[in-house]
Amino acid sequence: MDIAALQLKLRDSFRMEAADLLAELDSAMLELESRPQDATLLNRVFRAIHTIKGSGATAGFKEMAAFAHHVEELFDEARMERLTITPVMIDLTLQAKDLIGQLLDSDGPAALAPACHEVVEALAKFLPHDVATSCTDQTKLGEGTDSRQRHNIFFKPHAQVFFSGTDPVSLVDELRALGEATVTARMDGIPPLANMNPKQCYLAWEVALVSAQSVAKIKEIFLFVEDESEIRIERDLTPITGQSESDGPLSAFLNIAGQSLQAVEGFLSQLRGSTEHDGACCKNYLRILKTFLSAANRQGQQEPAALLGEDILLLEVAIAGNVMMSDQTKGNLADGHRKLAALIQSLRKNNRRENEPPPPSAPPPSMTPEPPPEATAAQQKETPRARPTVRVDQEKLDRLMRSAGELLVARNAFPLLAKRLTMEHGLSGVGKEVKDAGDHISHIAEDLQAAVLSIRMTPIRTVFQRFPRMVRDICRVQAKEAELLLEGEDTELDKTVIEQIADPLVHLVRNAVDHGIESPEARAQAGKPRSGKVTLKAYNKATNVIIEIHDDGAGMDPARLKQKALEKGLITPEAAAMLDDREALELIFLPGLTTAAKLTDISGRGVGMDVVRSNIRQLHGTTTLESKLGCGSKITITLPASLMVSKGILVEANREEYVFPMESVVQTVRLPRSQIRQHEQSYFTTFRNEVFPVLRLADHFAVNRRSVEIAWPEEVPIAIVETNRGRVAVAVDRFLGHVEVIVKAMGSDFAGITAFQGATIMGDGRVALVINPAGFFEPLIDPEKTFAP
Amino acid sequence: MPKTIMIVDDSATMRQMVSFTLLDAGYNVVEAQDGVDAVTKSGAQNVDLFLTDLNMPNLDGIQLTRRLRATPRYEFTPIVLLTTESQKERKMEGKAAGATGWIVKPFQTEQLLAVVKKVCP
Repeated sequence: MDIAALQLKLRDSFRMEAADLLAELDSAMLELESRPQDATLLNRVFRAIHTIKGSGATAGFKEMAAFAHHVEELFDEARMERLTITPVMIDLTLQAKDLIGQLLDSDGPAALAPACHEVVEALAKFLPHDVATSCTDQTKLGEGTDSRQRHNIFFKPHAQVFFSGTDPVSLVDELRALGEATVTARMDGIPPLANMNPKQCYLAWEVALVSAQSVAKIKEIFLFVEDESEIRIERDLTPITGQSESDGPLSAFLNIAGQSLQAVEGFLSQLRGSTEHDGACCKNYLRILKTFLSAANRQGQQEPAALLGEDILLLEVAIAGNVMMSDQTKGNLADGHRKLAALIQSLRKNNRRENEPPPPSAPPPSMTPEPPPEATAAQQKETPRARPTVRVDQEKLDRLMRSAGELLVARNAFPLLAKRLTMEHGLSGVGKEVKDAGDHISHIAEDLQAAVLSIRMTPIRTVFQRFPRMVRDICRVQAKEAELLLEGEDTELDKTVIEQIADPLVHLVRNAVDHGIESPEARAQAGKPRSGKVTLKAYNKATNVIIEIHDDGAGMDPARLKQKALEKGLITPEAAAMLDDREALELIFLPGLTTAAKLTDISGRGVGMDVVRSNIRQLHGTTTLESKLGCGSKITITLPASLMVSKGILVEANREEYVFPMESVVQTVRLPRSQIRQHEQSYFTTFRNEVFPVLRLADHFAVNRRSVEIAWPEEVPIAIVETNRGRVAVAVDRFLGHVEVIVKAMGSDFAGITAFQGATIMGDGRVALVINPAGFFEPLIDPEKTFAP
Repeated sequence: MPKTIMIVDDSATMRQMVSFTLLDAGYNVVEAQDGVDAVTKSGAQNVDLFLTDLNMPNLDGIQLTRRLRATPRYEFTPIVLLTTESQKERKMEGKAAGATGWIVKPFQTEQLLAVVKKVCP
């Protein structure tokens, strides 16, 4: 693959990754608002922004990476506890997050430069000066301008150099690359073969280098080995020999170790005594271990790191999970502590011995035993792990789904073929075999369909994620206080539904905060807590997914809604007088009704509710509303969990079969002929104190258009169907039962026909049209006469 | 027999970039999304070089380096850290844990190949 193509692919894949990271950033920021010093959270934020920057730069988003760098600095300072995050910083970070999103989407980042610059300026005020400028300083580094100069370099790697995977020869080779080098290996450190440890390095090198590079540049080669190795870089010609350093600082280290051990003992007994999760203790424990480890590392002590790795992991898991430690975990920590104590003890002995002249054949210091393997395995199991996932192009998934759908339809051929073989050709044996084969394929097809459907299922979390931020922003603008509670974020819905439910939900949550929740003062006066509560909840019920938006705000006033609708001329005074409270609430779904006395830029111009309802209806879902004045409102959305298979009612009209989507049928009844009355050209009926216009399905096909009067049968099968303009009674010839259907689009030639959602293939291979109630009946209803929810 | 290189990074973009480059140059590539994943996968097959990010969930690059060094099979295997800037403390920490070297992100494909060839000839 050439570089350009790779770059393009990387950009795409980074955009996808960044979307996740930005969402993560968003939610972490909001949590941070209530816990600005939470180390785990700070780390989460840092890691997200760090990855955005690093991977973004790799994918070629240079401006974005440079911008993200400033935010990263802020959180680096914060997680090092050199700075405390304030609400202003959170605001800035959220702004920065939005800008990053825009930078990734736009092709010309120049337009965003002023906005970015503003955020950077504002951030810089919080950063210590040296950090804020380090970015620009770095670009100046590494430009050695010395002319050619003679350097004498001595390099004696430490004996354990191989243990870091370093080949010292490669470093020498790097020196050669800098200029003219004369390399001499010094082999005088090599012991007699009998005493030689093949895992140790005994060699040293002298390199006379003539190079234009600066000393700093030469030193850089050794950056990874300079602490333990002996390295001298000099410009004169004096030959150099070296002596290894003394171990003086070891005693200081042992002092720190002793103090750490004591502190850890305290934490252990505190943990043993506590009956609930003690986050503060775990954090302090972790901090002490880390401080001790960095001291050990400075000392070149590697055993403590190996010993404490597990303990640190256990503590981090406990802190991150915010759960109480099991007794076993506590036992493991105690174990780690005992081993560490033993190690320190043996180091102390060695130290004393080393300060005296060593005996000729001192026994090697006892090494700490490795932790038992079963313990390691158990601890690994406890580590939380993300399940591996594959990102797939949506188009591929759709193709797979279409094919699975086709297969389900194609299997219908087998029973028909079997029937023909038996009936027409008298081959009942072969017929049965064909039928069996068909059954088998049928099972596989169903499994395949179920599997494909499950791939498409996505947790609603992705939609819910955006709401905490939104609620917070609205509250800030309107000086309200509200808490958003999310429940059931793991509830799964078809991806298409997820994508299309987002906008209606945004509207509803906005409305809940904007119109529902009162100002803190008003709430206090009404005897409610100052902070309002909005609950967004999703759960499964039968094959449906229910989403509820519930607020404890002002609620809706049916009388006011009626008045509004009258003022706007949306209903007649007679109709208004007939509405009870529940029906009056339904008025909110009328197009053109605005309930807020003042329009705000948050909820917009009342375009909300009617659009919300029709969007949800397009997803084959329903919307219901409950509200109590002074107590709040609840909107319940019922959605089919999957769009591919839907339930319907099969009916017959004019000897043709049609399917009504189940969610649009309120009720099916058989009414006696006498209950259907004629009024001028139209029919209507009264059922349970409601008046419905009656439409006869058969009349609306050109096949057999009604002339003047209908000869109704003795008993009329009627489906009460819900539309955006109210309910209608649809008369059919016969109910044929409930069916599960896969709705297939009818193709572009029929795209203009709104009366049908599509077609479906029945079990016996025949085709039935699936009615779209909105497209079919709404044009037939006179809105003035028939609005009666 | 081509060498096997493991790229450990929680960023799919980074993994992809490294994978493409190395596969193109004829190496075997194994991807791991964090330290724990790397430990598991490196147990299942032999790895000749580890390239690891520093900041990762579960087990970070430095903890991973320590784990690998504690495994006899990977005592001497080169481990190269992928860092974002020349933060000396972090590098030193990585070095103390037993890392072999580092590459500063963002890097170009040629830079990556040069480093890989150096530690894994």
